[in-house]
Amino acid sequence: MIDLSVDIAGVRLANPLVTASGTCGYADEYADLLDLRQLGGFFTKSITQKPRQGNEYPRIVETRAGMLNAIGLANIGLEAFVRDKAPLLRQLGIPVFVNVAGVQIEDYVAVAGRLDELDAVRGIELNISCPNVKEGGIQFGTDATQVHKIVSAVRAVCRKNVLVVKLSPNVTDITVTARAAVEAGADALSMINTFTAMAIDIESRRPILANRTGGLSGPAIRPIAVYMVHRVYTQVAKAAGVPIIGMGGIQFAHDAIEFLLAGATGLAVGTALFIDPGGVLGIRDGIADYLRRHGHTSIKEIIGTLQT
Amino acid sequence: MAVPTTKSKGIFTAGVLANRPACADHFALLLRLAEFPPTQPGQFVNIRCGRVEPILKPTEFEWRPGSLPPPHQPETVGRQPLLRRPISLAGRRDLDDGVELEIIHRVVGVGTAWLAGLKAGEPVDILGPLGQGFRPVDRPLAAVVGGGSGIPPMLYLAEALAAAGKKVVAFAGARSGASLPLTIGAHDLPSQAGWPTLCTAEFAARGAATVITTDDGSLGFPGLVSQALQGWIERSSVAQGELAVYACGPNPMMQAVAGLCLPAGIPCQLSLERHMACGLGACQGCVCKVKDDSPQGWKYKLVCKDGPVFDVGEICW
Repeated sequence: MIDLSVDIAGVRLANPLVTASGTCGYADEYADLLDLRQLGGFFTKSITQKPRQGNEYPRIVETRAGMLNAIGLANIGLEAFVRDKAPLLRQLGIPVFVNVAGVQIEDYVAVAGRLDELDAVRGIELNISCPNVKEGGIQFGTDATQVHKIVSAVRAVCRKNVLVVKLSPNVTDITVTARAAVEAGADALSMINTFTAMAIDIESRRPILANRTGGLSGPAIRPIAVYMVHRVYTQVAKAAGVPIIGMGGIQFAHDAIEFLLAGATGLAVGTALFIDPGGVLGIRDGIADYLRRHGHTSIKEIIGTLQT
Repeated sequence: MAVPTTKSKGIFTAGVLANRPACADHFALLLRLAEFPPTQPGQFVNIRCGRVEPILKPTEFEWRPGSLPPPHQPETVGRQPLLRRPISLAGRRDLDDGVELEIIHRVVGVGTAWLAGLKAGEPVDILGPLGQGFRPVDRPLAAVVGGGSGIPPMLYLAEALAAAGKKVVAFAGARSGASLPLTIGAHDLPSQAGWPTLCTAEFAARGAATVITTDDGSLGFPGLVSQALQGWIERSSVAQGELAVYACGPNPMMQAVAGLCLPAGIPCQLSLERHMACGLGACQGCVCKVKDDSPQGWKYKLVCKDGPVFDVGEICW
């Protein structure tokens, strides 16, 4: 029997696979296609204090081996989430993490504080890295001083909830912001969010997305994400004992194992859910096969074992 | 009858029965499945335009320490689209031991080109059925209006309306006669005056006379399909209380049809097209503005989940 369970700051996940925020709504969209209870955990779409309608259309465009999105944090808002979605998430039976976004530090604190009162929620994921709205948090996520400030403020209201900080790759050196998050009290790091990017309609000579830029996700970003996880693991997270939830283009078991070897404890699947919702369970089974083939009995035996 | 699946939607592996060019730029793909949930005209499927089997199964090869990854790594497989391609159903037939689905699509890029290359017997991975289809209105006469790749879903709709006892008249517009995914000249020839005739095999088989329009005037009525619709409504003795209009096509066409039906009080449903990733309501990519009573007067709905078919009065253009 292979033990696939992992521990994210005291929250046990039956396996490392979780949904990447924003790709799985609030869990009801995939009901017929994927038994979410088979996953290790569930990360919701971003919640802000007030509802947001999001950006104009077009919001997504496919690129080679990836896609750009600029949804603009469209969401139902905190109160509707607490009233309508939290009861359903409670029935999921797997740890639920709520992604939190905002404009000002007070917004984050207010939402995180309210979520700390909910039994349905085990942790929050601090979105300080959305590239798609001017005030979507990325101004916090790309400056180490700001990272420290916002993580400290939210840390103070996370008494029960685990605090996961989602890092932006749109920085010169991701270990700097990672270190700031850890020093400010992050329980775990999730990495990476999307890369700010652009696609152009060459006939009209205009950006395709209404927002002009979007976040690049999918297989195209995986090698960069793996590298960033490796750097943060070896230079910050390992010594601090802070687990990493790795993500960026995971589509097959092979991809997931790369992240594990690079130092990720959790694994989030995002863009691939759009294509093959059930494929995430294939990734889980593929990891077990790999462990069996290499004579391991627990997934923990391979995390961060990259030979360099 | 095949045992019906209990889920309202799912991922199914279909087998290709036939795949043929329907005109210069459309392909007609006939798929066979052991089972498929109930469908409505106007609903769509999201098709994975690539190999059905996961390209990389860890059990399929050995990772030899120190060796480079095998050449069938997903990144090295050449240009396959990442996302699925949403395409409306053009027809469905329930058989004793399975279901046949017809999909007629315009070849516009790598995904649809892959579909066009499928051969009989090959598998296709389809996710569906998705979205909310047309909701037939209680009017005895139905005009089904399709422009370009919006024509195929009208075949499925015409069949359902005819089966429900409605008299159906079809309007099909294309850039030129060569781009029209219909078989011309079954019984009659298309009318240049924009009069319905039994001129297409596909609609005639569903009991519907058709008005063909082309932008370049190479076939049928020279002009826009919306102009032909307008002319027919004005010239024929159609009592407007009897007519309902259903349409799918490019945005300008839909806007023109809306501009015709809304002021006249003709019930009208439009099937919209948007780029989308998941087709399930999760990615939130395929928004359209619909009227509501908020201060700003509109809100976003999702074409994949709330649509693709909307009532003409809902849509903010």
